[in-house]
This record gives sequence, C-alpha cells and structure tokens, in this order.
Amino acid sequence: MDEFITVFQNRQDMLLETTLEHLQISMVSLIIAIAIAVPLGLYLTRYPKAAEPVIGTSAVMQTIPSLAVLAFLIPFFGIGTTPAIIALVLYGLLPILRNTYTGIREVDPALKEAATGMGMNSIKRLTKVELPIAMPVIMAGIRTSMVLIVGTTTIAALIGAGGLGEVILLGLDRGADINLILLGAIPAALLAIFLDLILRVFERMSKKAGIKSFIAMLVVAVLIVVSPFMFNGSKQPDLVIGGKQGSEPEILINMYKLLIEEELDVNVVLEPNLGKTAFLFRALQQGSIDIYPEFTGTAIVTHLEDQAESNNAWEVYEQARQGMKEVYGMEFLEPMEFNNTYAVATTEEMAMQYNLQEIGDLKQIENEITAGFTLEFNDRYDGYVGMREVYDLNIADIKTMEPGIRQNALSNGEVDVIDAYATDSYMIELNLVTLDDPENLFPPYQGAPLMRQDTLEEYPELEAILNQLSGKITDDEMRQMNYQVDYEDRSANDVAREYLINEGLLDN
Amino acid sequence: MIEFKNVTKVYEDGTEAIKDFSLEVREGEILTVIGPSGCGKTTTMKMINRLIEPTTGSIYINDRNIKDYKINELRWNTGYVLQQIALFPHMTIGENISIVPEMKKWSKKETTKRSDELLEMVGLDPSIYKQRKPSELSGGQQQRIGVIRALAADPDIILMDEPFSALDPISRVQLQDDIKKLQKEIKKTIVFVTHDMDEALKLGARICLMQEGRIIQLGEPKQLITNPENEFVKDFLGNRNSPWQITVDHISDKNIDNIIFASTYPAGNYPTQGIYVLVDESNNFVKLLVNGETVNGKTIEYDMTLYDATELLEDSDQPLFPVLKEQKVVGVLTYRRIFGYLKSKADKENGVIR
Repeated sequence: MDEFITVFQNRQDMLLETTLEHLQISMVSLIIAIAIAVPLGLYLTRYPKAAEPVIGTSAVMQTIPSLAVLAFLIPFFGIGTTPAIIALVLYGLLPILRNTYTGIREVDPALKEAATGMGMNSIKRLTKVELPIAMPVIMAGIRTSMVLIVGTTTIAALIGAGGLGEVILLGLDRGADINLILLGAIPAALLAIFLDLILRVFERMSKKAGIKSFIAMLVVAVLIVVSPFMFNGSKQPDLVIGGKQGSEPEILINMYKLLIEEELDVNVVLEPNLGKTAFLFRALQQGSIDIYPEFTGTAIVTHLEDQAESNNAWEVYEQARQGMKEVYGMEFLEPMEFNNTYAVATTEEMAMQYNLQEIGDLKQIENEITAGFTLEFNDRYDGYVGMREVYDLNIADIKTMEPGIRQNALSNGEVDVIDAYATDSYMIELNLVTLDDPENLFPPYQGAPLMRQDTLEEYPELEAILNQLSGKITDDEMRQMNYQVDYEDRSANDVAREYLINEGLLDN
Repeated sequence: MIEFKNVTKVYEDGTEAIKDFSLEVREGEILTVIGPSGCGKTTTMKMINRLIEPTTGSIYINDRNIKDYKINELRWNTGYVLQQIALFPHMTIGENISIVPEMKKWSKKETTKRSDELLEMVGLDPSIYKQRKPSELSGGQQQRIGVIRALAADPDIILMDEPFSALDPISRVQLQDDIKKLQKEIKKTIVFVTHDMDEALKLGARICLMQEGRIIQLGEPKQLITNPENEFVKDFLGNRNSPWQITVDHISDKNIDNIIFASTYPAGNYPTQGIYVLVDESNNFVKLLVNGETVNGKTIEYDMTLYDATELLEDSDQPLFPVLKEQKVVGVLTYRRIFGYLKSKADKENGVIR
C-alpha cells in the first residue's frame, strides 16, 4: 500500500494527463457512437427489413478483437487518436443500436396506434411517445456501451493515443509492476463509475423532460469534450519518431530527437511505447510516423519473412538493408553496437543446480521444467521452433505469456526458463543467467533507424546525423541505461542526453 | 353524418375483410357494430379515421370524402378510444387529456378548463387525478380517462373499439351507464364496436350486425330481437334472447277451433257454452263470445312481446286472447300455450333446471 501511494505521488502529473486523455477519447467515441447508432436504430424501426443485416454487422464488428481492429485501421488512418476513436466507435455501436431498435420496436403497438389515431404524425409520435417510452432501454444501451468504451480505451495507448492504458502498459512493461497497473486500472474503473452516474442523472432527467434532456446531454458532453481540442493548437510536427514498448526504444528515440534537433531546424515529435511491431511498421508505411528504431533480425524475420543467411552482424545488417530497400522502399541506416538478441535465460540457482551453460544443456531436464515464452518466441524459427530443431529440445510444459510478465514468473519460480532480450534491464535486477547459443540459432538483433526513402530524400542530412550512433552503445551500456529508466525511474530523455554528452555527440 | 359507399377492403394476403359495404351513421346516434371475430367490424371502424384505407369505395363525413380532409385534422376531430386503453404511461393524466387540444393549438387556459370539466364529468377530482400517472389508476378509472381523452378537443365523432372489454364486469357496467348518460348530454356521433351482445343492445340506438365483411342486419335493438333477419342473427342473439322477448305471434294458437264466423250464426244464435272469437268474412275481429254472450274482450297485437303481453294478461280474467294483425285475427293466445312455450325453453340437465 505504501508503495502504491509512493507510485501515485510520483506519477500524479502523468495520471492527471492520461485520465483526461482517457476521458476525452472515451467521450468522443461514445458521442460519435450515440450520434450514429441512435438515428440508425430509429431509421431501422421504420424499415425493419434492413434491421437484421445492419445489427448483425455491428455484432460481427464487436466480435473482432480490438487489437485486430487497430491493426486493420493503421494502414488507413495511421496511429494516434483517430484510429483509436474509430475502433472504439465500432466497438460501442452495437449496444446502443440494438437497444434503440428494440426499445422503439417494443413500445406497445396499442400506444403507437393511439398516437396515430389521435392525429400525431410520424415525427411527433416518435418524439412524444416512442422515444420517451423507449428512453430507459436506449439509455441502458448507452451505459453498456460507455463501460465497454472506457474499458477498451486502455488499448488506445498501443497506438499512441494516450489514456490510462499508457500507465497500465508501462506497468506491464516494467515486469508487471502491480502498483503501476493499478494506478492505471483504478482510475479507469472510477471513470466508468463516474460516467455511469452522470448518465443515470441524465436518464432520470430524460424521464421528466423527455427528448429535450437527451439533446441537452449530448450538447453538454460535446462541449466538455471538444473544448480541450480548441486550446490544443500545437503546430504540426516535421518529423515523428516512433518507438516500440519499453525503455530501450524510448531512450534511443530520445537520442535521435536530440541529435536531429541539434543539427536541423525541425520540430521532432516522439511517439514512444507504441504497441506491437506490426502496428509500428504499418504506421511507418502509412506515414503517421517517419522513423523508428528496428532490429536487423526483426527486419529480416518479421518484415521480409526470410531467414538470416549469416550470423555475422554486418552481413545480417546488409541483408536487412537491401531487403527493406527492395521490398518496401525503406532506408535502414547503420546499426548500433549492442545486440539485443533473443536469449534463453534462467536463474542463477537453477544454472548452478543443473550446471546449465548452453541451451543444449536443457535437454537433460526437458521433462521436468516449465518454460515461459512469449507467444512470438514460441512461434518463430529463431525462437523455440528452431530450438527444437537445432538443439533437439522438447520441453514438456510451455506457458506462453506477455513479454512484461515472464521475468516475474521466473523469479516467482512459476517457470524455470524464459526467453529474454539480451539488453533488458531485469537481467541485472534479477541476476539472470543467459545460456550460450553455440549453434548461433538466434541471429543478431542490432538496433538501427528505419525510415521511408522519401523521408531521407526530404532530409538527406538524417543519414549523417543518425549514423553518428553507428557502432556505438555496447550491450552493457544499453542494459545500464535501461536499468536507470526502469528501476531508478529516470526519464528516458535525461538518460539519452547524458549518454550523448558523455560521448561528445552533444554539447552540454 | 358518416356514410360508407360501396366500400371494400382486401388485405395484402388476399383476405377480403369488407365486401361491398354501405352504411349511414346518423348524426348524434350511438351505432353499435357487432359480429363474430373476423367479421370486419374493427376494420370498418378504423377506416373512418383512416387507420385503414379502403381498397375501393369511399367514406364521407358531412358529405365530404374523408380523403379531402387533412389527415391530422380528420383525426383531431374524431375521438378514438381503444380496447387497450393505451394511455401514455410517461405522461400524467392531465398531459394525456391535453394531447389533442395542444395539437389543435388551444390556449393553455382553455385546455386546462376543458380537462378539468371532463374529469369532473366522469367523477374524478381534477386536483387529485390530474397529476397522477396512468399506472396509479384502476382499470375502470383509466378507461374513463381514455374516454375523456377522446372527448378532449370536442370532436364531432367518437370511435370506440371494444372499449370496455378488458374491464372487470362491475367497471364495465358502470362505464356503460356513464356513456349512456354522457351521450344524452353531449350528443356525439359514436361508432361503438363490441363483441358483447348485451352491450350492443344496451348502448346502441341502432345495431349493425356483421358477418364475413357484410351487414347482416341493421336496425334498432328491438327489431333485431323481434325480427331477426335469419338464423345467423337468431343464433348470434342466442341465449341472450330471453324467452319473454318472443312476440306473441310466435306462440299463439293458429288453430281455428276457437274462431267462428259471425255470419254462420245469423240472428245471434251463438253456441251457449265455451269461449269463441267472432270474426267477419274478411277475418276481422268482431267480438269475443263467452258462454253465448258477446263481450268486447281484450286483444293483443301480434308483435307484442310475451313480457308485455303478460302485463296485459295479469289484469284480466279472460282465459283466451285473440292475436290481431291489422285487426285481422292471426291466432289465439291461451295460458296453456304460454306455459307450454316457457317449458320448452327451459332445460333440465342432471336434475338442474335452467
């Protein structure tokens, strides 16, 4: 509890900002969802033949996992708030649509006939009779949708839209830091309760004042939500640099920004902690980000769907550079020194007990141990698939999990070996031992700036600027910097600046 | 007032609901429309406020085709009471009553005055009931509101679609009485659809009995009962037709044993024993002959109901009554005939006499 309070105090500013972002994204999405679903639902009650297909379609949209919707939207809308809101609107449509349709349809036919028989026209009948009677049902739909949206908004952080998901992701990334996760999750839940309360008040008002209060509700909500946008007239950035989740990419992109702004008169904006590799790559293709640090190994295996032809770092880089240029028209500048390759790691005690030095040594205990691998590692040739083939391993029990939580699983003793990234900071913190890879199964994973050709054509100086980092930063330096951010809570910007100054790349 | 001219209605599925239907509803009368379910009585009624459009033919109100009225105005001037009552549950009683006056742009003052007046007319205190919601009222009270909601904007015509059939028997009778009383004061033209013969008989100035989209018989209640057009009408009146309703014509003795021609006995040389009816050559009633003496005696008109006839019989010690139609003797009514008839109308079943 004390720890939680400390975390809370340290992150108050971040919490306020992300909560506001969260509220804003949720509200905009909810209002757009209402603005689409309520009229559509009303329209469908007058044309019931169209109702089943339309409601069916919105139901299908809800079954698609939100991450998949995001992945689908990035090529069209890039990253940031827009695709997040679109995904959330699609998500929130169904409950409102269905409840509006059902609510109006289930108004007693005798009441509709009475209204018509008394000489009300269709619109008057709708506003005076059908809407007020169906209002509780419609509001129930809106409230369901609101809870769904507020909950799902946490994933918006994966594509750089911000919100409380940022805090939660950070917590997950820092080895499932419970306090950080709670710090994000509790306000999200409170937000849902708070909004539900407000909606209840509006619902009660709408019983008395009918349709007017419903419209009043919309207007108030729009004002609340739109006003922050109006004061948010920040200038358009020249370059957007993105980064994957975690401290290492964040440190690297801060270095890029510092170096670029030192030399060029451009406005660089950073989008750290973006979700999956595929999101980032699509966003780069689509143009909502211009540069991000990618690993040479990932470029070959994931983007080019190929295998490294060599285990020599420089040859791997060349293969990746040429492939990315030919297939995607992208420039892959020179890599840094550190090799954040996959590693198989275990605890010191475990290594001592079974005298584990190489991956192949696991063979003797393969029936007794439990492995905690990321989904990705488990499925890749330069991962467990290759381990089975090259080292003839067949581990009895494999649990797949998110990258952020496997080191905890290891230190808690729930699993015995994990896949790890060589430069991750927890290697230091948890005193982990990496097993050697004498067969060179894992290709080198060296970080290097990846960008579209047109970006380099527009700013040719970028090549010289970013290549200053070529061959710099050793494994150990990288690990230390990661450690400072993850465990000493220093900002990535400070750590990056300190390194560049020490290296003489930046004036003090 | 309301006139149907050769109206037919064929539904999309091919059902012929109304077949060549012509009818005039007179100004200020209550016309009850009755018939078995599916006979087209509700369809007929809903065509008046255009909830249902006829397939062919036309309907006129005050000699003007209803299609020439603006549909909203037509409906504002045609009160509508539903079987389901259908008060709007989200509105107060006051709001429910004010709907049509508001649409007709009556002033607030006028509307308030009118709804207070109407509430008082049906015995509900406005200061108590106006602010209540329909759910706080009993079924009978709700339908009272349903009726005055239809009356609110002072329409010329009121359509009532089985308005009391969902109510308990006591409320139903009360509301029927209310409507009868109300009608005497307000003199509206009311088309009242029902499936309850007692109700139709009680309320209708005239009854329109329908079957399979056609009018089988149209007339005053008495006419239907005393002169049913055919077996269907008789059946439909069914047991509701008390044996006392029968006209004496039907139970009189057509046998001529007791009838003698005056001309057969010149110089008044009549039989001295027994009771006879004297008639002339054209069968006109002359006198009654009691044990050789002529008396004027009491006679009964052929279309008098048995019930009315017995009132006459009670005051007389005459054992035999000639039944006359336009002064001609068509039969003879005796106590024996009456008992025989009444017994034939009673059933004895499992020892229980009904």
